Amino acid sequence: MTVLELREVKRHFGGVKAVDGVSLKVASGQVTGLIGPNGSGKSTLVNLIAGVLAVGDGDITLDGKSLIKLTADEVARCGVARTFQNIRLLPEASVLDNVVIGFYRHERSPLYASLLGLPSSRRETRELREQGRALLARFGLAEYEQVPAGGLAYGYQRRVEMARAVASAPQVLLLDEPVAGMNDVEARSLGQIFAQLAREGMAVLVIEHNTRFVAELCSQVHVLDGGRLIAHGSPQEVMRDPAVVAAYLGG
Amino acid sequence: MMEFLRANQPVFDFFLLTLGFAYSQQVVLRAGVFSLASAAFSCLGAYGCAYLVVKAGLPVAAGVGLGTLIGGLASYLVSLPLARLRGVYQAIATLALVELMVALALYAEPITGGAVGFNNIPKHVGTTELLIAVLVVIYLLHAQSISRIGRGFDALRQDEYVAASLGVSSRREHTLAFISSGLIGGLFGALQSMYAYNVEPNQYGFGYMVTTLAAIVLGGRRSLLGPILGSAIMILLPEVARPLAEYRQIVVGVILMIVVVLTPQGLADTFLAWLQHRRARALAPMATQPPGGRA
Repeated sequence: MTVLELREVKRHFGGVKAVDGVSLKVASGQVTGLIGPNGSGKSTLVNLIAGVLAVGDGDITLDGKSLIKLTADEVARCGVARTFQNIRLLPEASVLDNVVIGFYRHERSPLYASLLGLPSSRRETRELREQGRALLARFGLAEYEQVPAGGLAYGYQRRVEMARAVASAPQVLLLDEPVAGMNDVEARSLGQIFAQLAREGMAVLVIEHNTRFVAELCSQVHVLDGGRLIAHGSPQEVMRDPAVVAAYLGG
Repeated sequence: MMEFLRANQPVFDFFLLTLGFAYSQQVVLRAGVFSLASAAFSCLGAYGCAYLVVKAGLPVAAGVGLGTLIGGLASYLVSLPLARLRGVYQAIATLALVELMVALALYAEPITGGAVGFNNIPKHVGTTELLIAVLVVIYLLHAQSISRIGRGFDALRQDEYVAASLGVSSRREHTLAFISSGLIGGLFGALQSMYAYNVEPNQYGFGYMVTTLAAIVLGGRRSLLGPILGSAIMILLPEVARPLAEYRQIVVGVILMIVVVLTPQGLADTFLAWLQHRRARALAPMATQPPGGRA
């Protein structure tokens, strides 16, 4: 079922057509891939969906509701979570606190309860820390909960960022180059987590360079080049497409 | 201990007031807001409370309460334009507000007494009241810090993009931070006016800002322990160094510089980070090595 839909989305920077009329659908329950060479507009597209950049023309809808007038935090509260191309953690906070902040949009304590430190607010904090620990265990991070996130090794930082995004229980999860700089074993173990999240009903959009990783994981793949979609379909179909081969090999 | 406190009661009272001002400054910094406007909020709280109690004849408790609210209301109004700014621009804009408030206090002679100050205020507040106010503020700030609001503050301070990507509204949280700062600043301004017999415009100028900022830089920007340590150093060090007579300023300055260079996070935050590091090491000795234990 389609959750996120882009219709003729455009964004130009001066004369540069970074995204130039992209239409695509992201369905719940599966992992959708978005690939393309460097500078093809992948990251711009993620930032447009997440509300970090303003859409020039066209529309982006989540369950039929338009997102393009919303700010980044409003888009997040609607249920769109993301990871960043360059890992962005809260470096001073512990691994556990980095994940607990992911629950932010689901917290229900009213303002006065938080300000006065009422038992209901404290109970919620305790429960979230428990849920955070469970999530850390799922991502293989249980023993690192007290470590300041900035001090973790690269691969672990990726996982913390992923766990934080999952904590927000989004309808749509945008992953911007999630396995960049990882070896095949690490990439595959993360891929299994993404597939599991999709099976649980999440719509996952993976933006990647690593075509092999995308081919193994995704049921649908879109290929972006020069700000336009040049192909979409199953990974096998897309990889055989002459336009895709030309774009990647510079033919 | 009690003996020492009794002998140095004015110093201890001054420490409590400075601590209150420092918390007003710290709460905005914690949310990633570079506001220096605490002095302005305290100025409003002090003159507001003095006027209401002395000229309008309100009970002291009502005057202090309203002084606190005046600080809070002013901070809300200030946040409307200034919460949008960031970093050094925010600092300069709020600095201008402080200067403006000092100038206003100087010119509004019928209300404030101008450069002579607001004098002949009966003393209604002593160590006990100051101590209660500090403890209440510490409790409320602690409750805030472990709640959803505190988590939003921490996220915004460390990375605003990440905070937004998780649904933290910077406008809402920054407004809350401003209001918290205004209420605390107004409260301790009001208490100071009821403590010190008089209020002068220059109490809420440059010196106030330097002292509170130095207390936070020395003690720490995140923990509630930070301003306690920092204010204690800022107030006690000049007292302890009194025998040095004319060299006092130099010695105090050098000590402050050494502390800042050695513990850039502040004494309290550095100590707490060290504790956390030890706890983390006990749980996960390999934590800072890459997966598989390779170097």
